[in-house]
Amino acid sequence: MGVPHLTRRAFASAAAAAAAFPRFARAEDTIKIGAVFPSTGPAAEAGKLQLNGARQALETVNEKGVLGRKLELVVEDDQTTNPGAVLAFSRLAGRPEIAAFIGPIRSTQVEAMSPDVLKVGKPMMIGGTSPTLTNQGNKWLFRCRPNDTYSAKVIAEFGVADLKKQKWALVYSTDSFGTNGMKALEAALKDKGITPVLMQGYTNQASDYTAVVLAVRQSGADILGSYFTFENDLGIFARQLRQLGVTIPWVGSPSIVNTTALNLAGRALFGTYGVADYAVDATPASKAFADRYQTLYKAIPDNQSSWTFDAVNLLARAISDAGNTEPEKIRAALAATRGFAGAEGEYNFDSKGDGLRGYNVVRNENGKIVFDRRIEVKE
Amino acid sequence: MSLVPQLLFTGVGIGAIYALVALGFVLLIRAASVVNFAQGEFSMLGAYAMVVLSSLLGVPYWVALPIAIVLMAGFGVLFAGATYWPLRHRGQLPVIISTIGASIFLANTVLALYGPSPEVLPGLFDTPGFEVGGVFMDSQYVAIMVTAAAMLLLQFLIFEKTLLGKKLQATSQDKEMASLLGIPVALMVLITFAYSAALGGLAGILVAPVLFVSVGMGTIISLKAFAANIIGGFGSIPGAILGGLALGIVETYGAA
Repeated sequence: MGVPHLTRRAFASAAAAAAAFPRFARAEDTIKIGAVFPSTGPAAEAGKLQLNGARQALETVNEKGVLGRKLELVVEDDQTTNPGAVLAFSRLAGRPEIAAFIGPIRSTQVEAMSPDVLKVGKPMMIGGTSPTLTNQGNKWLFRCRPNDTYSAKVIAEFGVADLKKQKWALVYSTDSFGTNGMKALEAALKDKGITPVLMQGYTNQASDYTAVVLAVRQSGADILGSYFTFENDLGIFARQLRQLGVTIPWVGSPSIVNTTALNLAGRALFGTYGVADYAVDATPASKAFADRYQTLYKAIPDNQSSWTFDAVNLLARAISDAGNTEPEKIRAALAATRGFAGAEGEYNFDSKGDGLRGYNVVRNENGKIVFDRRIEVKE
Repeated sequence: MSLVPQLLFTGVGIGAIYALVALGFVLLIRAASVVNFAQGEFSMLGAYAMVVLSSLLGVPYWVALPIAIVLMAGFGVLFAGATYWPLRHRGQLPVIISTIGASIFLANTVLALYGPSPEVLPGLFDTPGFEVGGVFMDSQYVAIMVTAAAMLLLQFLIFEKTLLGKKLQATSQDKEMASLLGIPVALMVLITFAYSAALGGLAGILVAPVLFVSVGMGTIISLKAFAANIIGGFGSIPGAILGGLALGIVETYGAA
């Protein structure tokens, strides 16, 4: 018993496999895109969403192929840390067959990897929104989300023009994201001739926001603008804000419409506004992306998936336009992208590598995020 | 404007949590000479136990609460068996390192099981709170203060008025002498671990509706509890309580 013997059927399937082998060999001849996504650590869940978006784009791209070949993703785990991101990138950078990269959504990780990207000299699509990333003279970085200066301009524009409010209270995290956001919002308001009545910082992971809420209440502000980094801080603040009777309109940075924040804060966020780089109903392209995403993954997509979806499509287009996988040619083709309708909006890359300049304003209607309008910033 | 009393109210509320965790901390230092760096994880586990029981399994809140506390006490015994017992004759440092290891292990186990998104745990009462003289009293903060005061009273009664309490005190003062007097020192140490874990778990459950339930909540709380211990004098029980309250109040006023 148990002695294997070669049946005719087993022989036939082995022969079929052997015959199929040249096809496996040909599968090696794909155009490879290296991706640095988190698959372990606190952002592991987000990493899965990023991969979903990229895979969805590959599905359509590979129906036709690029330069007669298929695109293939090579994913390395950044472990949700800066050293992890640098290590993951160096593993990818060591593979000469990789034509271009998709980098992390976290600005701090992009910052850590940026010098290595410059050394390797191949295009990298990034999702980090810190304005500094594309202002350091690294011509290989291409951003697939609008940067934070635009979110501040859109918050100011919506609050002043649409909600007709002048007395602003700004609440922000004292980390680099929050401070930069606050400065950008302050500058955007200054352009409209407004000086905020209150600028109140808080430290991340504070257990209590009573003092911050009371400062907002006493400032006499009629509108609140905020830059919160973590959803649980936002949740605690929102609840204490309502408990202490502050009901002024509130326009927040993207974390205010994040699923986790909605879940944590519940009723406390009803009626608030937020800016979001991705909204399902913003454009026909974003709607089409969401429809297919829902069929594939049985969930409503958010910005974690939309930017990687765009990144793959932009790269596919650029490689096709370049005619080969020479890095400088792909870079030139990316930089020449004009009027490309992506899920995140219309891409027009500027000389720094910023492709998008618009944000969607959404509002929280009893816990449901409803698209209000898209504001494109004109410069 | 009721700025000062409002801040005092939340300061005392959050300080009471630090005091509860600091208390569990001090008891272990005294009874077993263990500086337990996983004390915050006790709070995190207690809160997650409540999430599993009440949100996932649908056990009513007031039934789930004692079950979670008993589970945490049991966990305290297991914890002692894994981190303290094998190393108890090797001095303080190896045990401290082993509690740090346990803290990392526990946080990552919960992360792997539950993911990074924070969970919501409802409060003890349905009403968000009430206003007294211009000060908004969050019902959960009131519950925290009342429970903390009750636990302190209970602990005082047990330690000062019962034979078990006297045995525990004797063990914490001098293990060798206590064992010569026929006190089962090992059992006393295990009871202290169980009590300390239950206390930490209770603190976690109480604070969860305010701070949400997340893997990182343990680190935040234990850091503050540790500071409370230092402020109040290392190893002092009244010091831990005062230190916790002082820290809560200073923190709240400091932000103003």
